[in-house]
Amino acid sequence: MRVTQSMLSNNMLRNLNTSYSKMSKIQQQIESGKKINRPSDDPVTAVKGMAYRTDIDKINQYQRNMGEANSWLDTTDESLGQVGEALKRVKELVVQAANDTNTSEDRQKINSEIEQIKQQLRDIANTKVGDKYIFSGTHTGKPLYTDPTAPGQNPDVSIPGAENEFKIDVFDGISIKVNTQGSKLFNDIDEFMGEVSELLNSGATGAEISEALGADLTTVNGTFPGLDTVYENVLTARADVGARQNRIEMMGNRLDIQFVNVSKQMSENEDTDYAAAITEMVTQESIHQAALSVGAKIIQQTLVDFIR
Amino acid sequence: MRSTFMGLETSKSGLFLQQTALYTTGHNISNANTAGYSRQRVNMQSLPGFSYPGLNSAKLPGHLGTGAEAHSIQRVRDQFIDRQYRQETNSLGYWEAQTKSISQMEDIMTEPSEYGINQSFTDFWKSMEDIVANPKDTAARQVMLSKGQALAESFNYIDTQLKKIQGNIGNEIKVSTNEVNSILKQIASINKQIQKVEPNGYVTNDLYDARDVLVDQLSTYLPITTEQVKSGGNASDVAEGTLTIYYNGVELVNGKNYAQLSTLDAEGDPVDGGVDDEATNGYSEFGKITISEVGEPPEDTVASEIEYADMDKGKGKLKSLIDAYGHSGGQGVYPEMLANLNKLAAEFVKEFNTAHNAGYGLDGSTGVDFFTGTTAKDIAVAITDPKQIAASDEDGEEGNNKNILLLAKLQSKVQDNLNGGTFQSYYESLVGDLGVKGQEAVREAYNAATLRLSIENDRASVSSVSLDEEMTNMITFQQAYNANARMITVVDETLDKIINGMGRVGL
Repeated sequence: MRVTQSMLSNNMLRNLNTSYSKMSKIQQQIESGKKINRPSDDPVTAVKGMAYRTDIDKINQYQRNMGEANSWLDTTDESLGQVGEALKRVKELVVQAANDTNTSEDRQKINSEIEQIKQQLRDIANTKVGDKYIFSGTHTGKPLYTDPTAPGQNPDVSIPGAENEFKIDVFDGISIKVNTQGSKLFNDIDEFMGEVSELLNSGATGAEISEALGADLTTVNGTFPGLDTVYENVLTARADVGARQNRIEMMGNRLDIQFVNVSKQMSENEDTDYAAAITEMVTQESIHQAALSVGAKIIQQTLVDFIR
Repeated sequence: MRSTFMGLETSKSGLFLQQTALYTTGHNISNANTAGYSRQRVNMQSLPGFSYPGLNSAKLPGHLGTGAEAHSIQRVRDQFIDRQYRQETNSLGYWEAQTKSISQMEDIMTEPSEYGINQSFTDFWKSMEDIVANPKDTAARQVMLSKGQALAESFNYIDTQLKKIQGNIGNEIKVSTNEVNSILKQIASINKQIQKVEPNGYVTNDLYDARDVLVDQLSTYLPITTEQVKSGGNASDVAEGTLTIYYNGVELVNGKNYAQLSTLDAEGDPVDGGVDDEATNGYSEFGKITISEVGEPPEDTVASEIEYADMDKGKGKLKSLIDAYGHSGGQGVYPEMLANLNKLAAEFVKEFNTAHNAGYGLDGSTGVDFFTGTTAKDIAVAITDPKQIAASDEDGEEGNNKNILLLAKLQSKVQDNLNGGTFQSYYESLVGDLGVKGQEAVREAYNAATLRLSIENDRASVSSVSLDEEMTNMITFQQAYNANARMITVVDETLDKIINGMGRVGL
């Protein structure tokens, strides 16, 4: 084949051009830290990269939600704990009052403590996380007791959503209930307390009073849960909260692990392998230099240089 | 009997011939770097021998040579390589333009990144999760409104920018058509010169070269076929004649006559990159190419119409631009992407609004649309009061987050109308498709360029000037010239002997 100068310079130009574009690509990889910079560099990596980004953002958001869920459950747990303590004290007082050595004055005094505890329990029923009443179902803007000190006020069970669950997303498609519906629970407690007060005030005998501790109370107004039932309900609610706390902790761990996994996959997917990129860059540089120097030598020389 | 001075004549013819060859060598060296130049060669032939048979012809032993002459000066060219070169140029023109169109689209979509539609989507869903945790928090609601606006604006922005580029491509179609028309006119004008010169026996090598450069340029735009038509009169046997150019079997150039192309849109107006539909800022897609009757100047009558379906696949820049700009009822890189984005926007607005309408806002409002619009162009947030975000599924429950939970779940909900993907995975698949197309275009363009280089080298191997070769030829011709001159001296000396030395015996 006949080879001419223009062929040599054409080849050299194109090869130098290719070499430049390779170097520019590696340079871009090193500088941006990413293997690809546009979808056509590698469509699969690009699409995967988009999905990973969405995943990471989702996990971040779920982790934030997790914090919110924890503060609800922790507060609920603590509040229910206080309710339990209060009920224990009520039991002590009732046991004491059931003793027939007490005069009705003594029972009046006991009753005043009972009244105080009732107020305290109503305050607990109005517990807030941030500006939200946690026992008001989904009607978080409204307390269960609009005025805790008003005598004989029942929890406002008629408020819309008072018995609703309040859920928070903690994972794709998984939402966990973070509240404990308080209106029924506190209503029962309140009614029980009311009955106890009434008993103490009515001059009932010790036997009648002691009955209020265990069995449900039957009065002219209907049947009311007794202390054991109420206490049992509180414990059940608290156990439920504990179980959910465990679940959230587990989800939290899972999210942490997933965050690490997804970040790692994302990095493997699109981050520049610096060792490889720099090695490639150096190799490409030497090729480029060789091409330049050989090219410069070859295209200069013709027969003209050698004939007189 | 031969003439006394015949030897002088013989050597003179040699002198002239070698001189012609030397001058041609000089011409080659001068044009060593001229684009499209083919090296030229003097076709040498010996003159008819002496004597020619006839009644009065001299009786000689043998047939005495009388020297040499330049029969013709011919360019060294391989038409077959030219054809290959133009075929590859067709592909290169197509894929280069395609690479450019797609890479511009990629620049606008900016994926994968923290600035594209995908990120706007993610931010929007994220903003909802904050309402999930704090349904009555006005700040969180305001953030969701802003993120919704950001998402809508991402759609608007991409729609506007894609249409702008589509318009630029339309303009490029117009410019390319003009360029093609100009090339056709120039080729016809060269044909005309050739038609004038060739019948007189001349071989217009440099005009052929100029014409071949134009045909090469033309084949960047269109896949054309050519046919040589020999000139009449006293044309040399190495004369190439005029070139007739066909596109899809229709004459574009015939001798000095040429046709003009018009690229028309579906409405029959020229494609020019101007907005055709003010309402959507859209463009009327490509309809057909009309080719006028050839003439000088071309006739106004239309000789042929070429529909999209008649155009060769993957050949020529014009076809590539049309593929990007849009044709045949919504096909093409840009219209398809725009339509898909519209579909995504419409589905998203519909689904989101349906879910949003079912809920209740803080102010008790219900049945309120969150977004308006049905396309990527007009999608916008409909509500301005953050209280109207329907987070609750019951009226009057400010802490109820059930509806916003449902809205947030739309992120991972599979949409039957979006090929069974979620909103985001549908968008991701659009970007993926674009990437695959882009990758193909880059690869094909690279391959076509490599192939064309190799063919260009083949062509250069035949036609381009090698300085080494010209130097060698120069020495050859120079030596031959010198030898002829020396021969004349020899003849001169023999004549001197006869004229001045004879008949002077003893002097």
